[in-house]
Amino acid sequence: MRIPILKLHNYLLVSIQVELDDNTAIQFQEDLLNKIHKTEALGVVIDLTSVEMIDSFIAKVLGDVVAMSDLMGAKVVLTGIQPAVAITLIDLGIHMQNVPTALDLEQGLVKLHQELGE
Amino acid sequence: MSMNQPCVDIHKEWDIVAARQLARDIAKQTGFGTVDQARIATAASEIARNIFLYAKTGTICFNVIESIERKGISLSAFDNGPGIQDIGRAMGDGYSTSGGLGAGLPGVKRLMDEFDVQSEMGKGTEIRAVKWLR
Amino acid sequence: MDTKFKKIVLDHSDTIVDMWMDEIGTLKLENNASDISHELFERTNREFVNVIFTSIKNKDSTKMVEAFSEKLINLGWPLSYITDGLQIFRRVTIDYILSQSHQVDSVFFSDVLKSVDHWVEPIIRQLVNDYSGSWEHIVSLQQVALKELSAPLIPVIENITIMPLIGTVDTERAKLIIDNLLEGVIKHHSEVVLIDITGVPVVDTMVAHHIIQAAEAVRLVGATCILVGIRPEIAQTIVNLGIDLDKFPTKSSLQKGFSAALGMTNRQIADLSTKEKDTERLIHLLGKE
Repeated sequence: MRIPILKLHNYLLVSIQVELDDNTAIQFQEDLLNKIHKTEALGVVIDLTSVEMIDSFIAKVLGDVVAMSDLMGAKVVLTGIQPAVAITLIDLGIHMQNVPTALDLEQGLVKLHQELGE
Repeated sequence: MSMNQPCVDIHKEWDIVAARQLARDIAKQTGFGTVDQARIATAASEIARNIFLYAKTGTICFNVIESIERKGISLSAFDNGPGIQDIGRAMGDGYSTSGGLGAGLPGVKRLMDEFDVQSEMGKGTEIRAVKWLR
Repeated sequence: MDTKFKKIVLDHSDTIVDMWMDEIGTLKLENNASDISHELFERTNREFVNVIFTSIKNKDSTKMVEAFSEKLINLGWPLSYITDGLQIFRRVTIDYILSQSHQVDSVFFSDVLKSVDHWVEPIIRQLVNDYSGSWEHIVSLQQVALKELSAPLIPVIENITIMPLIGTVDTERAKLIIDNLLEGVIKHHSEVVLIDITGVPVVDTMVAHHIIQAAEAVRLVGATCILVGIRPEIAQTIVNLGIDLDKFPTKSSLQKGFSAALGMTNRQIADLSTKEKDTERLIHLLGKE
């Protein structure tokens, strides 16, 4: 299963709407990095509104994706993390300190805009 | 206790997803709210992944506990893997032998209300966790 | 007919009471029989049967039934005790009237049933009403208590919400706070949430831990948390505990926190110019020219 990655000007937009299994998550990591390389995107918004659960593995993959994209010069913002998912992550002891977040896709784009100083 | 309790056998990676989906369904039926559903599903996912990573195969079963004064869901997992060498250390935050976040077992303990792990080297590991309906 | 049966029952009330007492004695309170003394059980039974007879005798016995139900509710006896007791009374009385009558045909039988039901029904109805009234009362009291304890979320202005915390924060309540906080952030689409801990008397490691967890969860859903109402002793605790609050803005007062929140959402408070200020500015401008 592949997660579609859309390009919008300098940004990449991803909306995760499937149950993330480990392979899909890792495949997504690879796909996103390749896409950043190909499009030279400056910012990425990953929308997690439809994701009902994030366990430690998926959290790690997402955290890694943010750090890796950063290395490649693309800022990543995670948006739409559901309250239940946020609480569960905190319970697990996963705080994702270095991952920027926003309420929704729109706010995420605003945040990227500000951070990139455009 | 129900006669044929729902279980998931863990053999392949996709079974982790099956375990968490089953956990969520049963939690929902039992009457847990969305936050606790996520907690229970995540706990199931963590335990299933532990089995898949360390023991290769094992089983996770769910049970609805219903007594007069309270209701809850119990999750029990068995495997015949190598066992956990040092449970005390494995239960400490930040411990990982697989390169993960090390949130696994202590994380599960925080997600659930009761948690018990027993392990014997070379024989396997048994985990039992309970979440009560508030 | 009804008066005739009433006469039989009232004339032989002692016999009926004895029969009733025998039967109810075997019933015993299932739930908490162990901690009710035999005397109390016996006495309450006597009172119960007394209430039944009085209400048969004179129609207007509402007060007495009410007093009795109140007593039972206070004793914590189950409703089933009352319904069972009245069922037994009905059975025993019908048996007794039938045994005292020579000719029993179906019309007569149906008359007996009608009469006895007519005596028992109002009592059952009233007792059940009193019981459920008391339950509803307790439930509503508890709901109020719960709401008082829970954490209210107040949307003060677009995209800014305040949660004032008052009282001790324990683990159970912390969970409620986090749940309310996050649901509220999504519902009100809040970019900034102010948690005011002015009303929290003690901030120990556990409380600080809970508040930080709440703030981190808020950050994960994509909003920012400002902790306000930090008193000197709380600042000391936080630093002494080695808690890292760098990620979250903190302010000493709600007022300062609110202006910070406005700043974060690109807004500010502006005084609507008053006449005095207008004149001042006018003079100032004239002076420049």
